[in-house]
Amino acid sequence: MQFAAAATQPAPALSIAGLTYTYPEATAPALNHVSLSLPPGEFALLAGRSASGKSTFLRAACGLVPHFHGGAIEGRIEVAGIDAISAGPGELAAVVGYVAQDPETQVVSTTVAAEVELPLEMRGDPPASRARAVEEVALALAIPHLLERAVDTLSGGELQRVALAAALVTRPRLVLLDEPTSQLDPVAGDELIWLLRRLNEEWGVTVLLAEHRLERCLAAADRVIAMASGSVAYDGNPRDFLTWAQDADEALETPAAKLFSLVGIEPLPVGVRAARKILSSSEHRVEGSRTPSSLNFFGGEESAGRERIAEKVQDVRRGSASPSTAAVAVRDLWVELVRGDDESRDVLRGIDVAVKPGELVALMGRNGAGKSTLLRTLAGLQEPVRGKIEIPGEIALLTQNPGDYLVRERVGDELPGDAGEAALQLVGLEHAVETDPRDLSGGERQRLALAIALAGRMDGEALPGLVALDEPTRGMDRARKDDLVGLIGDLAERGAGLLVATHDVEFAAAFAERVVLLGDGVVIADGRAEEVLSGGWYFATEVARVLDLPGVITPEQGAEVLRKPTEEG
Amino acid sequence: MRSPFAYIPRPRPLQLASPGAAVAYLGALVAVAFLYSNPIVLLAVGFALVIAGRLAGAHAAVRAALWMGFTLALLIIVVNALVVSRGETVLARLGEWPLFGQVDVTLEAIISGLVLGLRAAVVMVGFAVYSACVDPDRVLRALRPIAHRSALTATLVSRLVPVAAADAARLRDAARLRGPGAAPVGRAPLARRLLAGSLDRAVDVAATLELRGYSLDSPRLPSGATLFPPKEGRKRFTRWVPRRTPQAIRGRRSRYDRRFCVVGLAVLAVTIAGEALGADAFSEYPATEIGTGAATLIVAALLTLSGLAPLRRSPRRARSVQLDRRTGSNSLPAGRI
Repeated sequence: MQFAAAATQPAPALSIAGLTYTYPEATAPALNHVSLSLPPGEFALLAGRSASGKSTFLRAACGLVPHFHGGAIEGRIEVAGIDAISAGPGELAAVVGYVAQDPETQVVSTTVAAEVELPLEMRGDPPASRARAVEEVALALAIPHLLERAVDTLSGGELQRVALAAALVTRPRLVLLDEPTSQLDPVAGDELIWLLRRLNEEWGVTVLLAEHRLERCLAAADRVIAMASGSVAYDGNPRDFLTWAQDADEALETPAAKLFSLVGIEPLPVGVRAARKILSSSEHRVEGSRTPSSLNFFGGEESAGRERIAEKVQDVRRGSASPSTAAVAVRDLWVELVRGDDESRDVLRGIDVAVKPGELVALMGRNGAGKSTLLRTLAGLQEPVRGKIEIPGEIALLTQNPGDYLVRERVGDELPGDAGEAALQLVGLEHAVETDPRDLSGGERQRLALAIALAGRMDGEALPGLVALDEPTRGMDRARKDDLVGLIGDLAERGAGLLVATHDVEFAAAFAERVVLLGDGVVIADGRAEEVLSGGWYFATEVARVLDLPGVITPEQGAEVLRKPTEEG
Repeated sequence: MRSPFAYIPRPRPLQLASPGAAVAYLGALVAVAFLYSNPIVLLAVGFALVIAGRLAGAHAAVRAALWMGFTLALLIIVVNALVVSRGETVLARLGEWPLFGQVDVTLEAIISGLVLGLRAAVVMVGFAVYSACVDPDRVLRALRPIAHRSALTATLVSRLVPVAAADAARLRDAARLRGPGAAPVGRAPLARRLLAGSLDRAVDVAATLELRGYSLDSPRLPSGATLFPPKEGRKRFTRWVPRRTPQAIRGRRSRYDRRFCVVGLAVLAVTIAGEALGADAFSEYPATEIGTGAATLIVAALLTLSGLAPLRRSPRRARSVQLDRRTGSNSLPAGRI
């Protein structure tokens, strides 16, 4: 009987014991005595700050560490009963799928169908079973319409789904995802998380997801593993994780949990639904929350609060659109992009927007809405087909990849002379003149790239003109985002208008005074951050979604509102 | 920015055809360009390739190849006219040039250069149509069981070329966005940075290939065998499944395959027969003689017609035939009397 019970006991999807790993030529281990086990069918979230060992952990679980990267390894890793240290990633491909942060580096074929089919072909499946498996996974991920498309015509979200399809087509027991939503807009990010949850429930796939934006996926997870300095610092359920994070690392707290902890409400909520449920049964009940039917931003019934929003949005538009005082003023801007053989489309359609000196503006919208195109057009990289751009001063644009600005092997060589020195001082890198840019941390590299874009464009201490940043928070943890918020505020204080394209709603809430929301090349909302980020569902902060009150978007604002009833009571 | 020569999947016969059939057809036309020197025949082949490319929807590729081909042809004509002084019809005597010696520009040398340039342009159009219309993934798949390592290299290169092009465009943009106080970026640092970035990209792509199972041996399982993922607590195993139908084993084929193979063979047959019948009559020196006999004109006409092979059959007619088959009736559908 004992034997029969053992035979039917499923092997863990992932079992790690005493794993210590050091990259070649590294002095400290990237993973330090890691031990854990993931049973089949679990949805686990891997949390932790940047460089805490999350990516290395995932690479070890799929066999890239040590087989591809080399280095010294101790301990044991088993994936679905297969020893991952003796078997290579190719042999593990049948039981584990891996999706990395940048989908562009994960495609190796020309068409989507060939990309999805490749792992099956490598495994030696005959064409008929390959065709069926591709069809099934395409249906599961809602991408059948993409199968005949060329991979370089896909958007970031579509490409991420294709990478996921290629990882899932072999029906692996375990799927590993390394920040898959970092390049996706809030809509595509939410869709991906709930798609993973559905696959986890329906296919029984074990999911291990590394993510910085915990508020996005905590509600979908069964378990949270938090890493710090290469070790497992927490391993347990999501609710206890929030309590742990409150004391251990505030950067891992979700906004809703922070809101509750500021007010002193227990237990801490794992998601928006849980938060609303807890609030509805607590003494801090929120009066005046809008009903879901009134959530659409410019339609539906108007409450008194919404009338106030509309007035304020008009105020902001009136105040910001004056070209004479603007750091940048754009009128009736049309930009057309040509793609492929005969395809061309208007990416920007009659944009009117202006940014004042010292103003902090977040530019938001879905992937492909035209955010990057607008910034590139302002910087002169793209020619408009119609419209007028007025930039009285200078414009400095930092594109999505700061590494593109770094071409020399010494920081001082990138920024010589007084102008370079002033730019380094502005971003706080004057101490790193002799350093190789590749030895800087991710945040420091971004600051250096910004200094390169700003060098020679300063008037003493002042910064006349516009500073534009395109998706500056990709792959950043909350602590680094807070640093960036400080830097952005400093630039605005010196007189620069700040225009920052971002998908990160919480980041926008932290720095922006005003939000411009683009949809398919047109401005669909332009107003104060508090109004725009509390007036919808996808482009709204977690606190706004929990409280559903106009103008309340940050935990501090929410705490103020929640404290009032009890104080009055 | 996509290259005009990049493959774009389209529901056209040439793109739908299997790589073997498409290569047989385009290869036969390109072979004619190498075998013949008669400019009438070369023009006919070039015309056929342009028609084929346009019918396949590869307008940008054909345009770009013609532009590049004619530029190259012009260069060849100029160089040939300056280097070769043979021919009876001297158009200009340019005297003694260093390295070149006595330079006489003759009509025959210009025509000879024109033929060489025309041949180069035709070959370029042929390869442009191939590049834009034949799925490289299917070509590599066909190549993999024969030459696994070569296919791996080709896969890496075919992926890295567009990625490197995109990286180069981004680096150029970043160089333009540098502040006036930052060190200017010349070509050398930019090229070094691009090379370093390409190596990083190559590592990423290689890692992805590893994860897709490329490090395993090339697929050599007997047809009908499939390898399933291991079940609970067991080691991986090979499970034999019933033999599939021959069509399923052969994989995706196209109804246009036969057409392209037949046209490719016909082109080769016409080419060989034309050679035997003197259709390639052409001599450059001492005086240019271009054959315009019946054989040449017939070969040229047939080759031009071969450019229509990628023509799509009218869907309306196909639908009516289907309807007739379904009903078993030979009569025309209602409304088509």
